Amino acid sequence: MNTTQESERTAPAPGALLSALENAQRENEYDYLPESILRRVAAETGEALSRVYSVATFYSFFNLKPQGKHPIVVCRGTACHTRGSLGLLKETADKLGFPDFREDEESSFTTEDKMFSVRTVACFGQCALAPVVSVDGAMYSRMTPARLCALIDDIRRGDQS
Amino acid sequence: MNAQLLATKAYNGMATVHPEVPAISVGMGTCGIGNGADTLYDALVDAATGKNIIIKKAGCFGYCALEPLLMVYHPDRPVLLFGDVKASQAADFVRAASDEAAYAALAPRALCKLSSWDFRTAAITFGEGFPDVPEWNELPFFKGQEKLVMRDCGLIDPESLDEYVAVGGYSALARAIGSMSPDEVIAEITSAGLRGRGGAGFPTGVKWQMMRQNEATERYIICNADEGDPGAYMNRNEIESDPHMLVEGMAIGAYAMGASTAIVYVRAEYPLAVHRLQKAIADATEAGLLGDRVLGTDFSLTMRIVSGAGAFVCGEETALIASIEGRAGRSSPRPPFPAAKGYLGKPTNINNVETWCNVPVILARGASYFRRFGTDRSPGTKVFSLVGKVKNTGLVELPLGMPLSDIVYGMGEGTGSRKRIKAVQTGGPSGGCIPADKFDTRVDYEALAELGAIMGSGGMVVMDEDNCMVDVARYFVGFTSAESCGACAPCREGLSQMLRILTAITRGEARAGDIATLERLSRVVRDSSLCGLGQTAANPVLTTLRYFRDEYENHIIGGRCAAGTCEALFSALCENSCPLHMNIPGYLALMGEGRLEEAFELSLRDNPLPGVMGRICHFHCQMRCKRETLDEPVAQGELHRYLADTIYKIGAQKAVWARLVDEKLPSNGLKVAIIGAGPAGLSAGFYLARLGYEVTIFESRPAAGGILRYGIPAYRLPKEVLDTELELWTLLGVTFVFNTAVGVDVSVDALSSRHDALIVASGAHADRSLGVPGEELDGVHAGYAWLEEFALGTAPVPRKRALVIGGGNVAIDTARTLARLDCEVRVAYRRSRDDMPANAVEIKGAEDEGVRFEYSLQPLEVLGTAGRVVGARFRVMRAGGVDASGRPAPVATDQTVDIPCDDVYVAVGERVDASFLSGTGVSVHTDGRIRRDALTCKASDSIWAIGDAVTGPATAAEAMGLGKQAARAIDEALMKRSVFASLFKDFGYSMQVPPEPVEALAMRSPEVPPSQRRGCFAEISQGYSGNQAVAEASRCLRCDIRANARSPWR
Repeated sequence: MNTTQESERTAPAPGALLSALENAQRENEYDYLPESILRRVAAETGEALSRVYSVATFYSFFNLKPQGKHPIVVCRGTACHTRGSLGLLKETADKLGFPDFREDEESSFTTEDKMFSVRTVACFGQCALAPVVSVDGAMYSRMTPARLCALIDDIRRGDQS
Repeated sequence: MNAQLLATKAYNGMATVHPEVPAISVGMGTCGIGNGADTLYDALVDAATGKNIIIKKAGCFGYCALEPLLMVYHPDRPVLLFGDVKASQAADFVRAASDEAAYAALAPRALCKLSSWDFRTAAITFGEGFPDVPEWNELPFFKGQEKLVMRDCGLIDPESLDEYVAVGGYSALARAIGSMSPDEVIAEITSAGLRGRGGAGFPTGVKWQMMRQNEATERYIICNADEGDPGAYMNRNEIESDPHMLVEGMAIGAYAMGASTAIVYVRAEYPLAVHRLQKAIADATEAGLLGDRVLGTDFSLTMRIVSGAGAFVCGEETALIASIEGRAGRSSPRPPFPAAKGYLGKPTNINNVETWCNVPVILARGASYFRRFGTDRSPGTKVFSLVGKVKNTGLVELPLGMPLSDIVYGMGEGTGSRKRIKAVQTGGPSGGCIPADKFDTRVDYEALAELGAIMGSGGMVVMDEDNCMVDVARYFVGFTSAESCGACAPCREGLSQMLRILTAITRGEARAGDIATLERLSRVVRDSSLCGLGQTAANPVLTTLRYFRDEYENHIIGGRCAAGTCEALFSALCENSCPLHMNIPGYLALMGEGRLEEAFELSLRDNPLPGVMGRICHFHCQMRCKRETLDEPVAQGELHRYLADTIYKIGAQKAVWARLVDEKLPSNGLKVAIIGAGPAGLSAGFYLARLGYEVTIFESRPAAGGILRYGIPAYRLPKEVLDTELELWTLLGVTFVFNTAVGVDVSVDALSSRHDALIVASGAHADRSLGVPGEELDGVHAGYAWLEEFALGTAPVPRKRALVIGGGNVAIDTARTLARLDCEVRVAYRRSRDDMPANAVEIKGAEDEGVRFEYSLQPLEVLGTAGRVVGARFRVMRAGGVDASGRPAPVATDQTVDIPCDDVYVAVGERVDASFLSGTGVSVHTDGRIRRDALTCKASDSIWAIGDAVTGPATAAEAMGLGKQAARAIDEALMKRSVFASLFKDFGYSMQVPPEPVEALAMRSPEVPPSQRRGCFAEISQGYSGNQAVAEASRCLRCDIRANARSPWR
């Protein structure tokens, strides 16, 4: 039976494929997994490419498109939703030129100049300070649309000067 | 076994846990760091350079709303906790730690103190002192909490193994592997009654036993730290603040179940938790607490971390195992259960973080100790994340069986605003919404399940009146539908169809039958899905349908989202929150364009009493005005009033009124009788007359207006304004029959037989009594009745010293009227000023006019001599815990106080007296309010009921809104047509987004100065000038300019 064969095979370290993909994405300049990297991971781990692709498309952590230089992650957890995070997402999408962005249709968008990527996360687990947004990896709690827009403007100015 | 090792570590750790020198610790969880704990820590280290002070990092103490948290310790004194500490204060704290005088000065500002701490596996007495600073568990947020799991959180450095050992850490592991057999360990867990803290509550001991029974050479234990429930974050904090307790709990479990590999599956969004856990595992391994031959015994254990990659379904054990094996996390059918065939086909046990964290306490203190907490069915504690619309957000750990109200109002202290709490959502996407009227439920696994919710991992999201329950259901189904792994059809297809229906409802595109379809789909998905994700995904829908069905119906049939969340269902938040749904942005735009007459006409069609309501409205619109996020809400009322006053001044209303009369729909020959000529009855009459009905309004008093004429004093609302506006009813052909009380002068049956429809709008003005001795004395007046008598000119002349009892608008109106009659007025109220229900501007006005307020006084007795009032006796109250009204409950003290006076005016609320309806088939609530259908206001076959008579004392705007709603419903019912929208008109105004707003506070009207108000009933507020009005109108942000905005009367 199948399972007997599997158990006789040398078991990889638990979670090895996920770690390999996470590391590969982290090392990529645009924080994503192009086909070449997926092929490399498949070769290195000995997994079938189809399985690597299956994993990369299943988990929300993995990006298959290049990401912008400044990631903006809007938390869409329940506490954040209750305290207005959908408004933050819409405001950001409007401001960055994606007024038609709908979270249930796409998971993220990246501006054409690759300056910003906006995505959502199921929950950052910072619910007490909702709504929470992460910009360039830093957490901002009790966010308002006005503060978020000002922050985006600051980043733009900072990159231009 | 190496006992010496633990003793050495404990000794080293104690030097920083309970040091002999001053120490400052900073809560460095992710929440703390997100609020500046890291810069605060750096600043403290800088400031303490060269001083003999310990600066250390600690975990989180759970009071997240006040991050960053800081603790200061002086040897032999209590630990002091401070909240919301800024890096700029670092030097002050360092000085306080090193200097006795600075310390004494700082101490009173502490939130609370910890004189001792029960680590459960050890206890430390820090010291005595500061009697005025409350003990930690005397603060509302901590009161009733029992920190069994969070025993170390915030008190030790999570990255220090020594500190963990110093407070009894790893003693349970040592005991288990040193002196207990694996079966004895399992027996202890079983008799403790520990149940799975991940949600389902399966008995942990039984689960362990099942695993142990399976013969295998290799077994695995797994910790599920994939905390995917949005709204829950206790597992993150448990790992971040005390990673060793998880390591120890798992090690004990591995020993009991015979596993040699332990895997912790942590979600990728928790980098700090991963980092600290990695360090904990490395330190424990180095110390011989993990790895080969733990503590010198034959037991060996390897522990690994697997980082998840963001998939909610991986909280499901079969999906989690697939994920660890490097596959997409899809669920598979059970059996086989993981205990038989799990990771790599071997017996595998999976428990949630918090379940593991309970294990060391049970082993260290015994099952009977654990059973001291919680209930028989659900022993122990549970950590909840109390978040959402609640004042004190954070992690609370409480014994199971505590009533929800104690958590939401006691620990959370309500919303912290005037908003009402509507529901609590527990258990995340698998849980349900529990309505506020079920908050007496005691929280345990079974009780929550009976309500249709689940305990889940412990998320508790509080929702208030601004949260739409249909949107909440849509939000969760959107989440579970996206997170469905797709392995089984009921979950994959069912959820996406449920999402489609819910989306249609929130967009106003659903049909009445959709609710039934949604319900049927929910049951199918629940009963036939493969794994827990699908089986529970319908809970948010089923519970909201069970408790908030009227919201669904209001979306589908009424076309409205009362909470103002579903944007497609309203034009702007001001319009949506206005009970009359006035197109406020519309007439502000017309005013801005100088088209005053059209602005007036637009507003008049929405609300036939513009001059009156512009003055006395509760201004529901301003409470949701988006301008408030910038500076102040738009003063819509002032503009409304300015518009009406200006039009009346130039006489332009005549032409507008003539247009309304001209366009009346042809008479349909149907007759409607309305009982009561107050705001509700007037509003219904206005619309019905325009729809072609023959309307007669019966009123017991000699003129129309109800509370507008007989309740609200002239200094707020000059009666000439009301008289002017009432002319329109006569023009529209409405007949008034005054001085005629229904039930006395004419029977309800007689009215019914002569009319096609009867509307009851009889209000709520029966004054409530105090229920204390002495109320029958001469000189005791009922507040509302007295105001009415005063307006009619029949009130007795008041004596000099007046005492008003109450805190609502009637109390303040009475007090300010008496002040104008040259009385010395005092108002006694049982709560504080902030808690008064009266409008803030009225309270301020009364104070300006010399009215004296006495707070925290509960009436005990009205005192009299020879049958005549001489004073009143009060119990002095103090503010207690927050009650269901969201305000601190008045709690009795042993003090009483007497206030001498000549007259007492009792204004403690009004109630509905609808006794004249008995025998008509109309039913009433126990408090007298008339029952009616929420959408149509229908109370029986031919009777409709509106206004305060159905709501109890509410605002004039709410009463008028119901009048409008009933007029539409009556026309649709009697004429079987839908023509209500034709009563409104499109005026065409600018739809350009206004330029970037400049910060500017609202314009203020000039007022008659307080010194000139004695003896004077002239209107206080003088109204805007033309320039002020234009400036104020331009403050509107025009939220109605959106792609999907709808007209309010589509």
